[in-house]
Amino acid sequence: MINLSNLGIGDRAFITGIHAPDGMRQRLQSMGLRTGREAEVIRSSRLGPMQIRVGSIHLIMRRCDAARVIISADR
Amino acid sequence: MKRLAIVGMPNTGKSTFFNRITGSSSRVGNWPGVTIDLLSAHIVLGGEAVEVIDLPGIYDLHGFSEDEQIVRNFLENNPVELIGVILNASQLDHQLPLALQFCKLGIQPLILINMIDEAYQLGIHIDVEALADGLHCPVLLMSARHGTGFNEVRETLTRYISEARPKPLDDMRNCLHADDAIVQQSDALIDRCVSAPSTLVRKITERIDRVLLHPWLGLPLFFAVMFLMFQVVYTLGGPLQDAVAFVLEAFKNSALIPLENVLSPVLYGFLIDGLYDGIGTVASFVPVIILFFFMMAIVEDSGYLARAAFLTDSLMARMGLDGRGFVMILMGFGCNVPALMGTRVMRSRGLRWLTMLVVPFSLCSARLQVFVFITTALFSPRQAPVVLFFMYLASFAAAFLTAAVFGNRLRSDEPFVLELPPYRAPLLQQVLLRGWHEISHFLRRASTFIISGVVLVWLLTHYPEGSTPGGAGTWASMLGEWLKPVLDPIGISAAMAVVLLFGFVAKEIVIGAIVAMTGLEGTALNGYLATQMDIIQAISFMLFVLLYTPCLSTLATQLTESRSWKFTGISLAWSLSLAWVVSFVFYQGARTLGY
Repeated sequence: MINLSNLGIGDRAFITGIHAPDGMRQRLQSMGLRTGREAEVIRSSRLGPMQIRVGSIHLIMRRCDAARVIISADR
Repeated sequence: MKRLAIVGMPNTGKSTFFNRITGSSSRVGNWPGVTIDLLSAHIVLGGEAVEVIDLPGIYDLHGFSEDEQIVRNFLENNPVELIGVILNASQLDHQLPLALQFCKLGIQPLILINMIDEAYQLGIHIDVEALADGLHCPVLLMSARHGTGFNEVRETLTRYISEARPKPLDDMRNCLHADDAIVQQSDALIDRCVSAPSTLVRKITERIDRVLLHPWLGLPLFFAVMFLMFQVVYTLGGPLQDAVAFVLEAFKNSALIPLENVLSPVLYGFLIDGLYDGIGTVASFVPVIILFFFMMAIVEDSGYLARAAFLTDSLMARMGLDGRGFVMILMGFGCNVPALMGTRVMRSRGLRWLTMLVVPFSLCSARLQVFVFITTALFSPRQAPVVLFFMYLASFAAAFLTAAVFGNRLRSDEPFVLELPPYRAPLLQQVLLRGWHEISHFLRRASTFIISGVVLVWLLTHYPEGSTPGGAGTWASMLGEWLKPVLDPIGISAAMAVVLLFGFVAKEIVIGAIVAMTGLEGTALNGYLATQMDIIQAISFMLFVLLYTPCLSTLATQLTESRSWKFTGISLAWSLSLAWVVSFVFYQGARTLGY
């Protein structure tokens, strides 16, 4: 199972689920990280956070949070 | 009076719309069931008085973040006739679920699609009629920034507000429960009503980010921006503070001093040395707070603050803070008060409180004045800069230590996810209003606390009657004697203890207090200082001054921003004990080593 933090710059994948406690999952979903949406990595460095595009919105998130977002190559 | 609540996600131009519809008549106030201040204003729509309330920007009406709870609590406790839902036209796919959540509440909604100009540029077309049909409520396109479509918005608001009735609060409480079907309904509507290019490319923003978020250039540029901001606030603020002090002093000399013959000495002392100087202390903060929030509004509204968070997060994450906290800590080196107020951009309470615990250790310009004075008096020109540098190191070390100690306790469960908005030019009106709101907030909330503190210290240093002001026989010097067992081990004399008490009010008056106490100036004063402390005692004294407590105004701001006596008490207790322990270890260590 791969997650969002495994992707490199320019990679895209579909979100298939979020592994997090209820409150945190709802928070991530409300920021646009919903099942079925396509996510693209815009920026990423080894130490710092990642910049992710989901639909029309750009997010910055830490790697540890990105690791909670489960993805797959197809919907 | 009828109520119109303005809601929407962050970065939708909600505040711009609010300011446009209310002018500058808005004020902050308390609301039933809500723990923070909300901005509201009274306006007239079609002959009817309407109260407009700007609710915090949220992503999800049913979410668990504090802002989301605040919006729900507000709606559950305050009857509202009309809800204005502001959406960002170029992110409708992302924002429509929130609009649908509000539509399901049973309060008349009005969907206001903002930033329509940006959406047109991106090639987005919105079928307003189909959308209004699907949502069963009026939908309007506008640009709050440029005023496009604004007349129509006003007319529609006027038409709906006269007929709108609030929903009973009990029904509202039942209604505020999550609805899973909402996202699917939203997706279906987007498919039908919005056509957008398959990949939205933010060309200009991406081009700027390529430089500002560059792996190597990003951080140096960030520090350059911070340096510039610092320079604007404090080099411009300094002369303005002097001007304020000059005006207050002139008024005192021409209008108040003559009262000495009219009033009794007690009343005169209380009014002039207590109350008026207290007002002066408050007034001295006005220029830097206004300038600071001018700059903050620019950095925030342009979208750069989110970039700053991105750039410094790897460093800050380990401290349990985030990049925005770093900005506040840096700004705290000018003055802690606006830096503490600036932590309001952080919406998670744990994160914000941790930052508010750390900021007071930033070596502010007032403390620097004291250190420069003492180092010039007691150290050689070669030693003095080294000692100053050591103080800055101690300041950073105390900040790191505090974050390490309290980080786990105040850790928040919220994931660190921030929206990275496209770059936008800040609006002058927004920048000005921000400065105005913050300063009125500071004056209303913190001034009583600060003035009472100044009066209290005046009482302690001037009474009982017949004692030399600030000298022997006053309650302050009794307090100094009483604290001897605590202050002796860190090498601080009883006379200097009184100075510490003055320093609690404001570090700027420390030197003045020494001058007033001794009646000495220039070289004679330096000589006096040398009799009070040797070099080791001086460093111990400076370490204590650096850490023990920033000043009364900082404390007042911590209290008004956290709204918690417990938090403020813990912060004060922590800094006092840290100061004592650090000074103790240094002083005793140096003495043991034979210095």
